[in-house]
Amino acid sequence: MTKTILTIDDSRTMREMLNLALVQAGYRVIQAVDGVEGLEVLQAEGADVVITDINMPRLDGFGVIEGVRANPVHRATPILVLTTESDATKKDRARKAGATGWIVKPFNPEKLIDAVRRVAA
Amino acid sequence: MDPLESIKATFFQECDELLTDAEQGLLALEAGDTDPETINAVFRAVHSVKGGAGAFGLEDLIRFAHVFETVMDMLRSGEMHLTDDVAKTLLRASDVLADHVEAARTGGKVDEARSAPILAELQALAGHEGLDDDGDGGLDGGEIDFTPLTLSIEEDAAPLAPPVPEIPTAQVWEVYFRPRAEMYAKANDTALVLRELARLGKAEVVLDQSDLPTLDHLAAEHAYLSWTIRLETEADEASIREVFEFVEDDCDLTIAREGEEPAQAAPADDFDLAALLAKAHAAPSEPEAPAAVVEPPPAAAAEVDVAALIARAQEAAPIIEAAKPAEPPRAATPAAAAPPPAAAAAAAPAAPPTATIRVDLDRVDRLINAVGELVIQQAMLSQRVLESGLARSSDVALGLEDLELLTREIQDSVMAIRAQPVKSVFQRMPRLVREVADMVGKRVRLVMEGENTEVDKTVIERLSDPITHMLRNAIDHGLETPDERQEAGKGAEGTVKLAALHRGGRIVIEVSDDGKGINRKRVRGIAVNKGLIAEDAVLTDEEIDNLIFLPGFSTAETISDISGRGVGMDVVKRSIQALGGRISISSEPGKGSKFTMSLPLTLAVLDGMVLSASEQTLVAPLSNIVESLTPRSEDVHFIGGQDAVIRIRDTFVPLIDVGVSLGFRDAPIDPASGVAILVESEGGGKAALVVEAIQGQRQVVIKSLEANYQQVPGVAAATILGDGRVALILDVDSLVSNSRRKGGRPEKRMAAA
Repeated sequence: MTKTILTIDDSRTMREMLNLALVQAGYRVIQAVDGVEGLEVLQAEGADVVITDINMPRLDGFGVIEGVRANPVHRATPILVLTTESDATKKDRARKAGATGWIVKPFNPEKLIDAVRRVAA
Repeated sequence: MDPLESIKATFFQECDELLTDAEQGLLALEAGDTDPETINAVFRAVHSVKGGAGAFGLEDLIRFAHVFETVMDMLRSGEMHLTDDVAKTLLRASDVLADHVEAARTGGKVDEARSAPILAELQALAGHEGLDDDGDGGLDGGEIDFTPLTLSIEEDAAPLAPPVPEIPTAQVWEVYFRPRAEMYAKANDTALVLRELARLGKAEVVLDQSDLPTLDHLAAEHAYLSWTIRLETEADEASIREVFEFVEDDCDLTIAREGEEPAQAAPADDFDLAALLAKAHAAPSEPEAPAAVVEPPPAAAAEVDVAALIARAQEAAPIIEAAKPAEPPRAATPAAAAPPPAAAAAAAPAAPPTATIRVDLDRVDRLINAVGELVIQQAMLSQRVLESGLARSSDVALGLEDLELLTREIQDSVMAIRAQPVKSVFQRMPRLVREVADMVGKRVRLVMEGENTEVDKTVIERLSDPITHMLRNAIDHGLETPDERQEAGKGAEGTVKLAALHRGGRIVIEVSDDGKGINRKRVRGIAVNKGLIAEDAVLTDEEIDNLIFLPGFSTAETISDISGRGVGMDVVKRSIQALGGRISISSEPGKGSKFTMSLPLTLAVLDGMVLSASEQTLVAPLSNIVESLTPRSEDVHFIGGQDAVIRIRDTFVPLIDVGVSLGFRDAPIDPASGVAILVESEGGGKAALVVEAIQGQRQVVIKSLEANYQQVPGVAAATILGDGRVALILDVDSLVSNSRRKGGRPEKRMAAA
């Protein structure tokens, strides 16, 4: 069964990079451009893993994490946050909010797939 | 295209959008916007530029974006306050950021003389934060390169043993792992952690469920289980620890070489090591503990085996504890984590529905061309039917009428596809204004209006140069220096307004300033000196203002770097006229000047009046035409026995014989034998075009004459009529101005032509 990954990022570049790496690794990818759309898409289509950026318009990554964890249907969906090396505080905040893991940008496909595999059943 | 190259192209495209967002946000901030979301948006834009740059290892761009981002972050957190100076620095920084993006795109280098001072300013603003780390963007090496690898779990399931220089020797590790409830709450999964661990080597996993309470004390979301793993691997401790990266803070974990005290290896956490140790050692030896021991082969089957292990562990627990779920959070999981039903997955599109699509411009252009041909063909057909003598009420004629309406509708819709807001041109202007203002030492505020006014893409592309020129002119010549302004009782900062609007089926671009206005005395003096007008010429204020559009006119006392270089307003005017556009200026001394440029909304079609003159078929743009009339001999007068004027109501308007103007014949026809078309030029000048007859009104498809032949004075373009004949489209403005100049100063006829 192909696993579905929902990527939430306001940067088209980043979405395409994630898409390339994930699709090459055999995942099905759905994309959302901000947190609000991400939660809507998750609600409508479901996903096996959510990968979300932190800085986004409308609803940021923390909001996504809180939204997913507060959703009785999707609360157990693993969430990976995209962070950068210097964002230690953001990573901690994301963890506290319930992030399953994180991907440090800039990532290479290997690291990305590693991270996904570590949280995807 | 290489997918990476394609993403890189996307990145640069996105950069353009992000830079625009950043600039607009900064402009709003400069103008006093205090919405935190505005600062946020700028931060995000710069952050995204940096993120993408990191992925492609664009070091210079990363370095600059990083410091920029740091400053934005400080503003965002309130650590720094947004003063006017900071806003100005940030605006200049956004310009330099754009330079860096451009340099990265073209593989060039930015002008250090421009970049370095701004970088220094940003660093000064950022204080220590701007200088300490540059590792954020990936400068610390290692992870910069995004190298797409075809990876799959199966292929990758081989032990992750990295190619270490020294000969790896397998060691035996003992790992104690006790998840806490929080770990499960974050959707981490013991099975997956164990699976990862098993990928490192030969793993023996022992479950300890001795802490499982009785059913009545079991809390659904509590964690009760722990595992001890004996791992034989060539991987080092760091690699093992990495497996636990996501869960480390939400579990008790010790990793030690077999036989060693785990204390050394354990993280400096606050849990009771001694107790743990006791447990770790106790677990395997507890006789009643159902120990599930599995030795997964290191390769592909790892997943299956660990899953089996988990399954067995889960089975085992209920036997002891009377059908209790072994792993509470997992018990809560299955329904939710189950993959979506196949039907739903199949029905769901790969991406959420969006309201827009991206279409290659080539395709739209092809469509527009085809529709253009359709319009011509439809007109030809109508004409044939008309000529065939079919009754207007016949089915064919009625059907054709419907077809005509439909064709028109299709054409309008297709043109609308290509219509774009002028924003794309306008948004490049703030930077230009800043640069020009800096160069001439003036303080300028740019106000823009009507950015969403839509116009055909063919026109958009050609708006940029004239607007650039008008803005430069407004700043360089229109506005005063801050000192002069204060002397004149104005604010030190001048205002330049750039506005777009629709008027009468055309797009009008206005560039106005609140400067000193045109010095008419000087303009007139220069025009006389340069022989552009006669010394005794009687000109209205408006006519004097518009002298600046005459070829060779330049009022700047020193030809500055800005408006100089020989490109005067006459060039601007000519390029606008070539588009079927008009430009004029109005001015009020001391209060400012206003350039008004109008262009057709599209360069593809035109509503025109079809005329005959000297057996030629011509088309006059309907937008120029005020009215048409049959001149009466008594209304026609000759000034100086030569230049004909016609009296229309209470005004006299020059008569222009189109046949003569275009060189079809030498002598004008008797105006009373033809038709006079009263036209108005952009400059406000009126004239009556004399032709033999009016054939009718119709929409024509514009075919550029320049592209197919060459520019002809008085002719804007050509078209193909319904009967297949080629007709010239008149450039009313140039006809009118040529005749005026001819009247005012005969020897300028050549220059005008």
